[in-house]
Amino acid sequence: MAQAAGIVLAGGRSSRMGTAKAALEWHGSTLLRRVVGVVDRAVDGPVVVVRAPGQELPALPDGIEVVEDAREGRGPLQGMAAGLAAVRDRAAVAYVSSTDVPLLHPSFIRRVLAALRDDVDVVLPHVGGFPHPLAAAYRVELVDAIERLIVEDRMRPAFLFDACRVERLDAASLLADPPLAALDPQLDSVLNLNEPADYQAARERPAPEVAVRRFGVLRRLSNGAPDPALIAAATLGEAAAATGLALDEHVVAALNGDQITRDPETPLVAGDTVAFLSADAGG
Amino acid sequence: MPGGLFGQTLVVDVADASAERLPVPEDVQRAYIGGAGLGAWLLHRLAPAGVDPLAPEAPLAFVFSPLVGTPLTTSAKFAVVAKSPLTGMLNDALASSHFAIAGKLTGNDAIVVRGACREPSVLLVDGDGPRMEPAGDLWGLSAQDAEQRLRDRLGPAWRVASIGPAGERQVAYATVSHDGRHAGRGGLGAVMGSKRLKAVAVRASTKVAPADPPGVLAAARELRARSFGPATAKYRELGTLANLLAFNAIATLPTRNFQEATFAEAPRLSAEDLADARGVARDSCASCSIGCEHIYRRADGRRTRVEYENVFALGPLCGVSDPDAVLEASARCDELGLDTISAGGTIAWAMECVERGLIDAPWLRFGDAGALLRALEEIGAREGLGELLALGSRAAAQVVGQGSEAFAPHVKGLELPGYEPRTLHAMALGLAVNARGADHNRSGAYEADLSGRLERLAGGDAHVAAAIETEDRAAIMDSLILCKFLRGVFEDPYPEWARLLGLVTGWDVDGAELAETARRIVLAKRAFNIREGWTRADDTLPERLLAESVEVGSGREGTLTKDLLDRMIDRYYQARGLDAEGLLQPGERVLFEDSDRGHLHALTD
Repeated sequence: MAQAAGIVLAGGRSSRMGTAKAALEWHGSTLLRRVVGVVDRAVDGPVVVVRAPGQELPALPDGIEVVEDAREGRGPLQGMAAGLAAVRDRAAVAYVSSTDVPLLHPSFIRRVLAALRDDVDVVLPHVGGFPHPLAAAYRVELVDAIERLIVEDRMRPAFLFDACRVERLDAASLLADPPLAALDPQLDSVLNLNEPADYQAARERPAPEVAVRRFGVLRRLSNGAPDPALIAAATLGEAAAATGLALDEHVVAALNGDQITRDPETPLVAGDTVAFLSADAGG
Repeated sequence: MPGGLFGQTLVVDVADASAERLPVPEDVQRAYIGGAGLGAWLLHRLAPAGVDPLAPEAPLAFVFSPLVGTPLTTSAKFAVVAKSPLTGMLNDALASSHFAIAGKLTGNDAIVVRGACREPSVLLVDGDGPRMEPAGDLWGLSAQDAEQRLRDRLGPAWRVASIGPAGERQVAYATVSHDGRHAGRGGLGAVMGSKRLKAVAVRASTKVAPADPPGVLAAARELRARSFGPATAKYRELGTLANLLAFNAIATLPTRNFQEATFAEAPRLSAEDLADARGVARDSCASCSIGCEHIYRRADGRRTRVEYENVFALGPLCGVSDPDAVLEASARCDELGLDTISAGGTIAWAMECVERGLIDAPWLRFGDAGALLRALEEIGAREGLGELLALGSRAAAQVVGQGSEAFAPHVKGLELPGYEPRTLHAMALGLAVNARGADHNRSGAYEADLSGRLERLAGGDAHVAAAIETEDRAAIMDSLILCKFLRGVFEDPYPEWARLLGLVTGWDVDGAELAETARRIVLAKRAFNIREGWTRADDTLPERLLAESVEVGSGREGTLTKDLLDRMIDRYYQARGLDAEGLLQPGERVLFEDSDRGHLHALTD
């Protein structure tokens, strides 16, 4: 069984935003695609998107599961129950995220998950004066307690926290983790977008700085560009464009030396290294 | 008679130059095409069951193909086929050169050598038939020197395939060489050496026309134009050495005998840097428009052809990062006639044995370039530690014991190429199940791992399908024969290959028939191995690769387990129509027990 699953709640009403957050454009991709991709990088188990009944979602990568809320509009506990139930036999813990956190960094997720010791049921970040229950880690077996709360119509996460062992992490505790301190020092991972102005402000931020490496023929064609080259790019597609490459049948990329991909919507975060390779590697 | 073929194989007993013509019926030719496929059929016919690969009666086949001699780019290739002294199983190794054209135009689709000479000799074949000449003056020379001396003596129309000193001394991974290229894997040079046959020289004496000469010419023009496109750019621009730094970046560069999958000093050996500093020329095989050969200058001014596998095996695998030393070692392997992958793999295994105190040779340390070169000399001479290392890593580990078998880097006795199986799970399966052993040219499943189409660290059904697909494609390309560096230019390979074969032979072959032919050839090789004692236990990977993980750049682990590999092998057997033990089903099994024609149909029952 995997250690950690990822659950992304996409079914909120987005009433203040005025449009479905999941489908908001993000550097040529969507908000949901980005968050799902970032969560997927930080967990070793399944990643589940929870949507409202009948809700249309933007395209998701292969392997991402989608489940539905039993009922719409009843708040995060309803969605968490659906997500935790979907992974209960396949993971011990789950990182639960909202959809509207485009600056989420995998190192934040890893930091939160790492704090989920045996004597803890929930790891709850407390940043900027607020708890962040949708940027938190939960023991999967809490699904039973959550379902009882739903039956009792006690729909606030605080009721859950009253009933289990919670480790609260403030900013200092979170930033005691060197990778997180280096890659997300302002803890922008918890910055959520509620109104159009929030979205605009976040969208106008510079894309994260990533390192790009070219190998083989691609380096020969780079006219002496530095290796690695530091560029700003929020997606693999942006990185390819900034490098003068097209992710066609002759070019693939490896993110941080890991899985090979051609998906231009693959999210990038600060500190990433993208290796562009000839697709005909080998031989 | 179909176009492009002679319908016969010349079988020569080199003990007395007696010869017979073995007819190759057209349905056999159509079922096995040529090259590796026809070679498998010939070995079934001509190799006595259980034969010692180094015994006089063991056959050694030089097999041509319908496309040889046409203007189709990269088609000037031949397969050398025998039972391998390294693996004890069927081995085919390909080389590209004018030997293929001249050999075929002796009027034969294949030349098979049996018997053994009383003294070092050369076999000459031309329109006057086979004859032997003494080669005492050539014995001890490098293959290149022997080839040059023979051509000086016989004339430039003669083309020569020769062995070096390693073949003469029957090093289990000695090569057969022509024009600087090698039929490299599996020890075919040792088979020649066991027959005291220094070289085979051939001279064209006839012609053979394709069925549709204008059609072939037009197809050749088109294929040549496509061969200049982006699908072959890598080979033209930097050659296969371009793999090294890219593989290092994705943790698939086997290092220090597969103890690691990245090599910190890899940039010192990278084509990206060395090409500008040392590249002096680019060359092509005969009839090739790709031009993948990249020639580098060494510190002493001498020139060496570089390939990824040479540099990987003699560099990172042995922990050596000095480019001059690696190039010198590669050149020395060429001169001695040693397969670089097996030489590097066996030496790397020995270096680890020394590190663990299992072999008393304190001079042989990872990263020591001088030790690498000394080891090669001792192997070529079969002196000192070289007597042990000349056996290859599997047999040497059986001698040393003490657990060293677990980290001997081979499958079926053939040393692993430079593709880390733990981070390339489709390739892991391909390496485990292939008939030749651990080989990247008979199973190119790494293509799927590197394509992004599947998760390279989580083997499953998609990886099985990829392993089968690439194995089948290799079977056809190795039988037509076309260079695999051309594979990327075919958008719909089977129909396109069928069209080329049809233009040459006149057969109404289509893509579906070729797909069936691919399966037949793969099973023919497996059937030969089964006859020679193969069991399911041979389809595996070294114990180390199933017990130890490697880390990729993201921090994830590349891990293979025996359970995971076994599951993929089970699925592979099912998809191939084999039984649970990997044996051919009864309807197919009988096929090779009859030596003649009836078996052809049993394969497609």
